[in-house]
Amino acid sequence: MTDAHGPAAAHEPAGTPDLADVVRAARAEGRGLKVVGAGKWSGEGTPAARVRDGADQVTLRRLSGIVAYVPGDLTLTARAGTTLAELDDATRAHGQWCPLCPWGTDDGTIGATFATATTGPFGAALGRPRDLALGIEFVDGEGAVARGGGRVVKNVAGFDLVRLMVGAFGTLGIITEVTVRLRAIPAADVTVLIVPAGGGVRGASPPAGAKWPPAAGSSSIERDAAVADALIAAEVAPSGCAVLDQHDARLLGVPAGAVVARYMGSTALVRAGVAEAGRLGTVTETDGRFWTSYRARDPHPRMLRGSPLSISVARRLKGRFDPGSVLNPGILGEDAE
Amino acid sequence: MDQLARALSGIVGPQHVITRAAELLVYENDGLPGYRLRPRFVVAPGNRAEAIAVVRALAAANAPFVARGAGTGLSAGSLADGIVMIGLHRMRQIYSIDPVGRTATVEPGVVNARLSKAAAPYGLHYAPDPSSQTACSIGGNVAENAGGPHCLKYGVTLNHVLHATVVLPDGELIELAAPRDDEIGYDLLGAFVGSEGCFGVAVDVTVRLTPNPARVCTMLADFPALDGAAKAVSAIIAAGIVPAALELVDAGTIAAVEASIYAAGYPTDVEACLLVEVDGPAAGLDDDTAAVQRICRENGARAVRTATDSSDRERLWQGRKKAFGAMGRVAPHLVVQDAVVPRTRLAPVLRRIGEIAERHRVRVCNVFHAGDGNLHPNIPCDGNDADEMARVHAACREIMEVCIGEGGTITGEHGVGLDKQPYMDMLFSPESLDAMCRLRDAFDPARRANPGKVVPVRYCREWNASPSARKAVGAAP
Amino acid sequence: MTVRGLPGADLCVHCGFCTQACPTYLTLDDENDSPRGRIVLMKALAKGGFSAEDESLMLSHLDNCLGCRACETACPSGVPYGELLEAVRADTLSQRPLQFVSRLILFVFARPALLRLAMLKVRLIRATGLSRLLARMPGRLGIACATLETTRRPSHGIERRLPRPAVARPAIGPDPAKPSPAAAREAEARAHVAVLTGCVMEGLLAPVNRATERVLSRNGYEVVSAPGQRCCGALHAHAGQEAAAQELARINIAAFEASRAEFIAVNSAGCGAAMKEYGRLLAGSPEWRERAMAMAARVRDVSELLADAGPEPAAAATDAAVAVDHPCHLLHAQRLSEPPARVLAAMQGLNARELPDAVDCCGSAGLFSLAQPGLSQRILAPKLENIRKCGASVVVTGNPGCMMHIGAGLLRSGSPAVTRHPVELLDDAYSARSAQ
Repeated sequence: MTDAHGPAAAHEPAGTPDLADVVRAARAEGRGLKVVGAGKWSGEGTPAARVRDGADQVTLRRLSGIVAYVPGDLTLTARAGTTLAELDDATRAHGQWCPLCPWGTDDGTIGATFATATTGPFGAALGRPRDLALGIEFVDGEGAVARGGGRVVKNVAGFDLVRLMVGAFGTLGIITEVTVRLRAIPAADVTVLIVPAGGGVRGASPPAGAKWPPAAGSSSIERDAAVADALIAAEVAPSGCAVLDQHDARLLGVPAGAVVARYMGSTALVRAGVAEAGRLGTVTETDGRFWTSYRARDPHPRMLRGSPLSISVARRLKGRFDPGSVLNPGILGEDAE
Repeated sequence: MDQLARALSGIVGPQHVITRAAELLVYENDGLPGYRLRPRFVVAPGNRAEAIAVVRALAAANAPFVARGAGTGLSAGSLADGIVMIGLHRMRQIYSIDPVGRTATVEPGVVNARLSKAAAPYGLHYAPDPSSQTACSIGGNVAENAGGPHCLKYGVTLNHVLHATVVLPDGELIELAAPRDDEIGYDLLGAFVGSEGCFGVAVDVTVRLTPNPARVCTMLADFPALDGAAKAVSAIIAAGIVPAALELVDAGTIAAVEASIYAAGYPTDVEACLLVEVDGPAAGLDDDTAAVQRICRENGARAVRTATDSSDRERLWQGRKKAFGAMGRVAPHLVVQDAVVPRTRLAPVLRRIGEIAERHRVRVCNVFHAGDGNLHPNIPCDGNDADEMARVHAACREIMEVCIGEGGTITGEHGVGLDKQPYMDMLFSPESLDAMCRLRDAFDPARRANPGKVVPVRYCREWNASPSARKAVGAAP
Repeated sequence: MTVRGLPGADLCVHCGFCTQACPTYLTLDDENDSPRGRIVLMKALAKGGFSAEDESLMLSHLDNCLGCRACETACPSGVPYGELLEAVRADTLSQRPLQFVSRLILFVFARPALLRLAMLKVRLIRATGLSRLLARMPGRLGIACATLETTRRPSHGIERRLPRPAVARPAIGPDPAKPSPAAAREAEARAHVAVLTGCVMEGLLAPVNRATERVLSRNGYEVVSAPGQRCCGALHAHAGQEAAAQELARINIAAFEASRAEFIAVNSAGCGAAMKEYGRLLAGSPEWRERAMAMAARVRDVSELLADAGPEPAAAATDAAVAVDHPCHLLHAQRLSEPPARVLAAMQGLNARELPDAVDCCGSAGLFSLAQPGLSQRILAPKLENIRKCGASVVVTGNPGCMMHIGAGLLRSGSPAVTRHPVELLDDAYSARSAQ
């Protein structure tokens, strides 16, 4: 692809108004902008890698910091360039955390997490980005600054710009600020390895409602998946559950064939959960840092599958929020023809 | 008879098209009696195919319309001002319940509580439980992103809708699914939920069903001081306990409820009661119960009573769930507010509300989802008393200003509709309101679905709607 | 049109909670046929300004109302819907001529001599078996014959007797040889009770009245007679014939005052509900108001009296699968659900089945099933389906209208199941034990 406007420039706006200026200028000049947080989900094979050559790069790393945090409300507002690690540090000091924990490392930014709606191993149990976002500020493709949602945990005022922006990969607006829902750090947080009891598996008594035992002749990974299903169907379900292939198991230092589960809650609840897991195999407690390496082993960006612009509503959205195709051009596969 | 009405009779049958003024009276209201607008006529499709055909016929005729579920909304959101009303109340079929995948696919007119009843044999229920759950419809819940007491722990409608088949106002049929973790695409379903009927008509909805908790413990804590109750709320939340529900009922509300046939045995000599419910697996529930009791006492609770059995529990809930109606006994009309404030600001906000009420000589009864900070200051009043109504509206506006000033919002679960529209520009900038208009336009470029609701038209930059739609919302040509 | 007053209509906050409780709304799918819709129509009628055509259309929606009052149970504001409906029906009676069949029945029921004659004729039809022959005929005649057929009891000739237990159960409860605690108290009776014999009950279902008397005696009540009593007037009040209802009420008040009874036992939910409201019915009459209120305060459904007394337990006398249907006028108008349950619970070993949606109206509603057979049958249909699903062969319900309407529906649909009054089952249980 050729670029009619010379070599790509790089922008590092320090605030939302600066960013809006950058967008307006790009719109006026007909240039594209590649929006980058910390650049953690932009490698080969990710949607971000599809951004058209020649687009200027906008990095949001200077647009960082916590804007508002009232621990008693369990909500926090941060600028997009704030890293997950910074978020974690700020909240941990008050016995709280944000259960985003997306795939990748904690030097990724909160803005990118929401823009890509990257979830992690705890998304199903503790909430995905769309569930945890309460409010958002963004700059649209014409440089207008808008807000959706707010700083309270329940809000139906107006059409939902928050859900619109979360997961839109910055193609409808550049997220500049997000308000997230927090949780209190639970009294107990235990990660266990469950090694399904070899030939004795059939004798194990599974939690009610689980599909158990696994079919005869099933592979190790199928059997592990059955263990995971049984765990999730149990009365005390884990917050996260990892089934590993041999390669990953070796890489992460986990015994082959083991399922890893994380139980969080009150001490009694966690004890009950671990006891239930014990009915499926041999349980040993392990280091909770497993999850950090597990999340980091593969950035798990959302796949290139799906062609959003084939949907009429999505096409019209793009036309109304970014009529000049300034924001992350190409990322939706519009150049794939 | 209206020519369009005759055409639609051909789709749904003449008995399901209501055109006579005398028979349109009841369709002039939703659950908020302060507003009355008469629809052009009402058409009630009986199934998915009829609903799609009706919307397409309206598109062909370029006729604006309003979809209405059970008419229990509290924002005047489903009123039709001289335009067609599509009544979805006949679409009551539950297509399927999947007890293993824990989902149900239903028509929009299925009543919330009836879905839970249908799921009960599998030990499942539909978690969002607005107080009107015995009468409100899933379609209406989706349109409003409805909440309810148990949304504190289980999440609002948005968190429970997995898929919707939507007929767009131009007649196109689209499938909206919750975004997948492994696929790129816009969260159109997330945008659709809570769009107050302005984006299209859901003709079927797939929702998540939730396993019934193994154990439930319901407590009623009496607080001689309202302040203490409010403080106990934020203390419980801050302690990391996630109650299934955490509701505050103040003295005015208690008086109304206890005078009604739904007397729940709430003490009438306190300033507030907290209704706290914890649920979940048996393990750990006693710890949570003990912690809630301790926190309530620390904040000045005089007594904490625990429901002894399910009928006792039902009775305690009765007082909360029937509170709105019980206020019908206090005065003929009721102005219902739905603001949300940060939970730590509950105590000062309640104090301010009390001052405002006193200054304007109106009676405010607070009964609300305290755990979410979702206030419902209700003002019983006489709609025929112009002086009183002027004071009520002045008080409402001030209450809204206080809530917004404290970092809150104007509606937590009832929706904006017509009722909260005057406050939208107190909360959002013109740019934000314009962005909302653009979002709406992506679904309904002609703005024929529920025109004139949610975002005041003057904030929409572009206004390329058809003349008929313009006329419908009273916009200047 | 003049609607004089709308008692309690202002309590309605239009919340809509009532809609899903309303059988006609769920059947007709139009909010004009829902309680809140009808309240809107009543208010509009009171305000006036409609064409005659519109008015009759609006009144037709009021006529569609069963008067089941399920909406009152659902209503958080306490709108006295039944009262409101009766008031408006009374005020609009002249605009809304009743059907001939309704007028005929109301006329006859208010006149004891005519009523006796009519009931005699009807019993004759039953005795000849003609009603059985015609019970499956389509149309109103068939429905009427089937309805009559449901009142047949073993003592009426052709039997539909309930199956007895295959193996005799040991007697549960006190030894029948010894006087029961209740019997021991009989010397100093729990209370004196007069039974409302009623119109249909005494005319067609006299065995139920006798059973009522026996079970009350068994539970320590002394049953006294109240000569001169008449039809309670409920049907007249529901139809808007306020004057006729008031006249019957006055006669009954006098009759029951003359008896020594502390309580008036009623085994018909509809009648009990109406009599408990005599105070309101005669509120406008200075000389009767106090007497009516005093009388109303003494009215009890038979299940209330039995529940107060225990009731004395006994082994169920039948093996048949029994399901309970809740009459609307017990559940909603009288707010009684616990006492009827206690009556059933007294029969140990009862093969009880749970009837899904047992609280839903059956569509009988007094004259409604005759005046609006089509709508009435549509409302009945899910009830019959639920009975089939739960596998009950006996459906007990404490209201003659429901017994006959559901029973007729069962008969016409070819179901072997029958309807009974709960006291009939309890009486069977007591007499089976006495016979041992």
